[in-house]
Parts: sequence; structure tokens; C-alpha cells
Amino acid sequence: MEAEVIKAELVLPTHMSFKRTQMYEKYPKGQSKVRWKQLKQIIQAENYQNYDPDEPNYVNIESPPSMQPCKRICDITGFEAPYHDPRTNLRYANADVFKLVRSLPNEYVQRYLALRKAAVVLR
Amino acid sequence: MPFISKIERQTDYNRFPSSTPIVIDNGASYFRIGWAGETEPRVIFRNIIQRPRHKTTGETVTVVGDHDTALLRYFDCTRSGPRSAFDGNVVFQFEIMEYILDFAFDRLGANGSRIDHPILITECVCNPVQSRSKMAELLFETYGVPSVAFGVDAAFSYKYNQLRGICERDGLAICPGFTTTHVIPFVDGEPVYKGCSRTNIGGYHVTDNLKQLLSLKYPHHMARFTWEKIEDLKMEHCYIAPDYALEARLFQKGSKEAEDKTRCWQLPWVPPPIEEPPSEEEIARKAAIKERQGQRLREMAEAKRSSRINELENQLQGLEFLLQQLGQVQEEEIPSFLSKTGYVSKHEIESTITKVSQSLRKAKGEAKVEQAENEEKADSSDKYPLINIPDNMLTAEQLKEKKRQIFLKTTTEGRQRAKQKRVEEELEREKKNREDEERRLENPELYLEQMRTKYKELFEKVEQRKRLKTTNGGHANGNSSSGAVGRGERLNAAQRERMRLLTTAAFDRGKGEDNFGAKDEDWQLYKLMSKDNDDDDDGPDENEAELARVCSRLQEIDPTFVPKPETTPSQPTSAEIPRVRPLTKEDFQVVLGVERFRCPEILFRPNLVGIDQAGLDEMTGVSIRRLSTKNEVLEDRLTSSIFMTGGCSLFPGINERLEAGVRMLRPCGSTIKVARASDPVLDAWRGASVFAANMQFQQQTFSRSDYYEKGEDWLRHYQLRYTL
Repeated sequence: MEAEVIKAELVLPTHMSFKRTQMYEKYPKGQSKVRWKQLKQIIQAENYQNYDPDEPNYVNIESPPSMQPCKRICDITGFEAPYHDPRTNLRYANADVFKLVRSLPNEYVQRYLALRKAAVVLR
Repeated sequence: MPFISKIERQTDYNRFPSSTPIVIDNGASYFRIGWAGETEPRVIFRNIIQRPRHKTTGETVTVVGDHDTALLRYFDCTRSGPRSAFDGNVVFQFEIMEYILDFAFDRLGANGSRIDHPILITECVCNPVQSRSKMAELLFETYGVPSVAFGVDAAFSYKYNQLRGICERDGLAICPGFTTTHVIPFVDGEPVYKGCSRTNIGGYHVTDNLKQLLSLKYPHHMARFTWEKIEDLKMEHCYIAPDYALEARLFQKGSKEAEDKTRCWQLPWVPPPIEEPPSEEEIARKAAIKERQGQRLREMAEAKRSSRINELENQLQGLEFLLQQLGQVQEEEIPSFLSKTGYVSKHEIESTITKVSQSLRKAKGEAKVEQAENEEKADSSDKYPLINIPDNMLTAEQLKEKKRQIFLKTTTEGRQRAKQKRVEEELEREKKNREDEERRLENPELYLEQMRTKYKELFEKVEQRKRLKTTNGGHANGNSSSGAVGRGERLNAAQRERMRLLTTAAFDRGKGEDNFGAKDEDWQLYKLMSKDNDDDDDGPDENEAELARVCSRLQEIDPTFVPKPETTPSQPTSAEIPRVRPLTKEDFQVVLGVERFRCPEILFRPNLVGIDQAGLDEMTGVSIRRLSTKNEVLEDRLTSSIFMTGGCSLFPGINERLEAGVRMLRPCGSTIKVARASDPVLDAWRGASVFAANMQFQQQTFSRSDYYEKGEDWLRHYQLRYTL
């Protein structure tokens, strides 16, 4: 290990005196074999439907969908966009922006759509 | 004002008795730890880790928090991105959490065999019991902590500010955080979680949105848009517009106020050194050097040529002498004589002589075309004597010989025919060029127009092909940014055609049974497919050649013609700006105009990024509705004390916007007052610290034995009481 790295104490030391079991004992071979449950799985395992729906829990405090009308803004410039391009599914504000929209290669189109989660996902 | 982490190792760990609690604010963005009763946390760092491999030793090490990138050059960071223990605002990766806690306790100065202090740690609202229990287990088992308490960071912040009079006992706490935003009503000083509301949008989404927008607008400078830099930009320049539509219209018109609001980031740029036109002496000197070099080369060529001529002459003489000798030797002794010299027959010697004399003549520079032709003709009748003799008169060996001669003859004839065709094509081309010239001379304008249109068409076609090809090539190279497009785009036109043919073939035949292949014609399909595949690659080459020809022609005759630069392939990794003109200072400027207020707008309208949930102002309405108290006085009291905390509440203009939004929801005349925490970022920790320093804190913690006896169900119902 280089001298300046040691001096800066960049790396976490492997042995801590205040710990009962050290990391290398708990997780031999570096990465742990334990697959941690993602949030979705945790929520599923919680079985909130078995409990009283009036009790607040992680799921039922989530906000409902918005009641306000959706404001449509141009994907590229950010101005108000009353128009919509059927071919690329992008929103645009005026004719100049439209020219730009039509000249974009497909990759950029998908990235703009991904900004508002409207991209075509092939999985 | 970028947030600096504090990671100095503290030295006074042993000064604190075992009863002093350690206060941890475990946030998705930053981790803060310190002692109860103090006003500032001792250690602050970003809640991420990286596990790079050391380049020389190869071991995998852990680096917690964000560190000086200069030091990271010793490590191979390609496969280790920053990892967080959080998914949303819930901790789920406890291995990472352990590394982080290790680091935190280490920097706090912990020594001894266990952490012997009670711990107050923050969590999200209504934390799932599994996450809570795993955290408790981690603290009890691995660190030997005597007792633990869990609290909500927004509540601590609210209580702290209540003490300072910024908000009342009843009120609404709005906490836009890093990954989520909460609205929690407080009644009688206690949070009522029944009325709580959470939207999954936060500072992370704002920064991500800004990063994507800038990368799309300036693809050449993508390498400069790192996460940290964009966060800095966001904190410095973003604001919330009181009315989005009005602001957008300002910018659209291009008015003066819009100009004032536009900020420009100048990237470091060095103008290229101006090349001075070479002076007279320079040119003369260079010409002289070139002349001398040319002279030297010519001399060398001369010398070589003369030596070769000498060599050839000598060889010729030797061979002629040999031939003479051969003539004198007897018939029977010819083979033995010849084996000594290395030639098999007299014929061979003669052919070698002719070859050598030919090369000699070439070296001397005489015309020998007719000679060659004559030679070939003579040879054809000599060399292939066996061809004309019918088969049945020859022996087996002679038959083989005959086959070989036929083959040789056909190949030479083929070569001659090809040469002739080439000559004819040359003549054709010459004729066409002459006609072209004549056309041009008689009507230059029209000709020019025609050329130009032809150029444009060809250019379009080539561009189209190229775009198709490079986007597909780009995907095939595995660019990660094209994840949204996926496998489908990798199929180029030929493959798509193939798929189409196959599927039509499969589905056309008969509704019930699949009898593709019963008829022989069906298999012709495959021939069609493979031909399609080949064509696709050869096609564009002709177009490109044609394009190049037209381009050069136009350049010759039209002084105003500038060849259109090809648009650079849209690969994110390429950093070339189309060099139509020399790069100027403006190319290296990143302009932040609309993005300044477009990105924070998503806090109020998550629909803009596709998250279908209520924005900040709507959430207050939802929260009050969920409380369902029917007590209007209480509701009025709630709205008269709206309290903002959390990192995202630092955007300028958020207070006014929120007030306007809430006013739209509440009945006319209700009091609305929005107040911001005195320090939105650190107040959560400070509130927790004050809470932990209180005498009655110990009654609210639970110890290891409690945890094991009472079990998970009890843990589910465990809540702190915030009023002490």
C-alpha cells in the first residue's frame, strides 16, 4: 500500500477492537453469499394486509396519485408543450424544436423519454 | 455551498462515561454521528461505500464516504461503483451498514472491546419491522451496545425548532429528503403517523434529472458532469419558480429578465496556438532540403539500376555460354551434364534466357509489349502441343500433361480477356468525362445545380445508412446508457428482414398444422435470407464511392462549395465536436437557463419524471384529509405552522411556492404560515442530541434482553414519545 494512502487513512482497517465478530469472520471470501432482500421483498414479507388497515405502516402512508391536471412540458427545452410527435412520442414546443426532435438519433430519443419514464424497455 | 464531510478521528472518546448516549442520524445522503448534548455532530460523511481493488496487490479494500479522487488512482475502480445501504429510505443492505458503522465508530475514537454507550439512531417513518430488527441485531450482536432507541429524523427536527419557537405544538412537518419526501402532522407535540404522507421523490431525483438534461444537451462534455459537480451546481444555482408557466414563457420569449437569470459555466479551455504563416526563408530552406533529398534518391536509383543491368547481362552471358556447351555435348550425356548445372532440359534454359533478356530490356527501358505478346502466342502453340492430339492416342502420363496444359491455356486466355475489358472500360470512362466536360462548358449553371442535388441525395442516403450502422454498432459495443433501448435495436435491417421472413413463413402456412418444408420451394426462403444479409453490407460502398466522386468534382468546379461534414456518430464516449469551424470559447460553455427551475419543479410535480404521486403542495392536503379530525380549528392550527426541514428545503423560493399551493387547497381565509428550520440539514441531529441528553431518555430505549424476550411483535409497536 502506498505511503500517502496509508497516511490519509483512506482504507477501512479490517480489524476493529470494539467489534465482537470481525467482518472477515462473518463474511469469508470477501463478498457475502447472503442475498439481501430488496425493499419490495421486505414489504411483501411484512404481510401488511394481515394487520389493521387503520394502523399506519410503510405501505399505507404512501401518497395517492396526483389530482391536478398533468402539466405537459417540452422534453427538450422545458417550455410549455401543447404538441406531441406520434413517431417518437416526444413533446415539443414549436416548429424549431420539432426540427430538432426529428433529427435526433434514436438513442437520444429514448434517453429523453427515459427522463419521464416513457422509454421503450425491452427486457 | 457544497457540504464538506468531517472525518477527523476524535480523541476524546474515553472522556465520556458509559451513560452518555451516542446519537446517529442515519440519512440516505449523509451519516452524522456524535455525542448527546452537543450542538454539532463529530463525524459527518456521505453514506456510501466503494470496494475497489488495489492495482498492485489485488486485494479488495473498502473505502467509506467520498474521498479525494487523486488518492483513488492507486485502485482499480472500474468494477466498484459507489454503493449505498439504502433502497429508498429503508436500510436493506446490512453488510454495507456494518462497514459504515465500523468507519463511524472508528472515527469517533472508539476503543475497548465493545461500544459501551446507549445509541439513538434515526430511521424512516413506519420502518418495516424486518429492517428495524436487523438493525437492532447488528448493534446488539456485533457491537455489544447496551441499549438502543429508534426515532424519526423529521420529528426530532420539529421538536428542536419548537423549543426555539419557530413552530407551534400543533403543526405540519414537511421533510423533502434525499430519496423521499414526508409530510407529518403534529398534534399536541406528538407526530400522528396516521396522517403521514410519503412521496418517493427527493434531492436524488432532482440531481439525476439535471445530470441527464445537461448530458443530453452537451454530449461532448459528458465526462465533466459528475455526480458531485452536478450536486454543487444544483445547490448553487437551482431555484423554484413561483409560477412555472410564467417563468417558462419569459425564457421562451427571450426577454431581458431571462437573460439575467441565465447562468453560464465556462469550462477550462485553452485556445490553440495560432500558426504563423512560414516566412520566406523558411520556405526557401525547406525547398532546398527537399531538392537535395530528391537528388540523393535519384542517384541511389540510378546506381541500383546500373548494377542490376550489369547483373542481368552477366547472367545472360553465362546462360548463352551454357547453351553453346550444350550444343557441343553428346545426346546421351545431356541429362548428366544438365544435372550439374541445375537445369532440367534445354527448353528450360532457353526460356530462362528469354526471361532474363526481357528483364534486361525492361531495365534499360525499351518497349517490349509486342515482344511479350509474340512470346505468349508462340508459347501457346509450343507449350500446349498435347491439346490438339485426341485422348485415345496418349499414354496416362501424357494425359495428365495434357490436362495441365489445357488449364494453363484457359487461364492465360482469361487473363487476356480481362485486360481487354479493362481497356474498354477506360475508354468508356474517358468518353463519359469528355461528354461531361462538354455539358459543363455549354451550361455551367444547370450543371452545377444538378451536381448539387445529386450530392445532397447521396449524402442523405449515406448518412442514413451510417446512422443505422453506428447506432447498432454502438449498442453492440455495450454502451450502458442505451439500456432503455435494449436488445431490440441491435438487430439491424438485415436481421429484422430475416426475422420477418421466418415469421411470415411460419405463420402463413395453414392455420392448424405447420407444414413448412413439405414443398421444396419453401427452402428457397433461406437462400433469400442469406442474400439479403450480404447485400446490406455491400450496398453502401457504391453509394459512398459515388459520393466521393461527386464531392471531388464539385470541389473542383464550384468555389463556394463546402463539403458537408458528416455528423459525428452519436456515441456518448466520443468527445469530438464537429470541426466545421475552429473551436471557440463558446463551445466550452455550459448554459443553465431553463434547467435552473425545471429540475426542482419535480418536487411539486412528480409527473414530470413519470412518478405518479402527489407533489409537495398536494401532500399537505392529503395529510390533513387523512387525519380526518373534522375539527376545523385544529386544521387551521396545523396550517398556521407549516415547518420545512430536510436538505431539499434549501431551494430559494420554495416557501412562497408552498404557501401559494396550500392556499389553493384550504378554504378561503385560513391562516397559512410557512417557516423553515434554522438549519435544515443539521437540525435533525441536533434535535436527537437534545432528546438523548434528557434524563428520561433511558426509559425509552430497549435493551438486548428486552429485544430477545419480547420479540418482533413488540418491536413493531415500539414508538418513541417525543415530548419529554
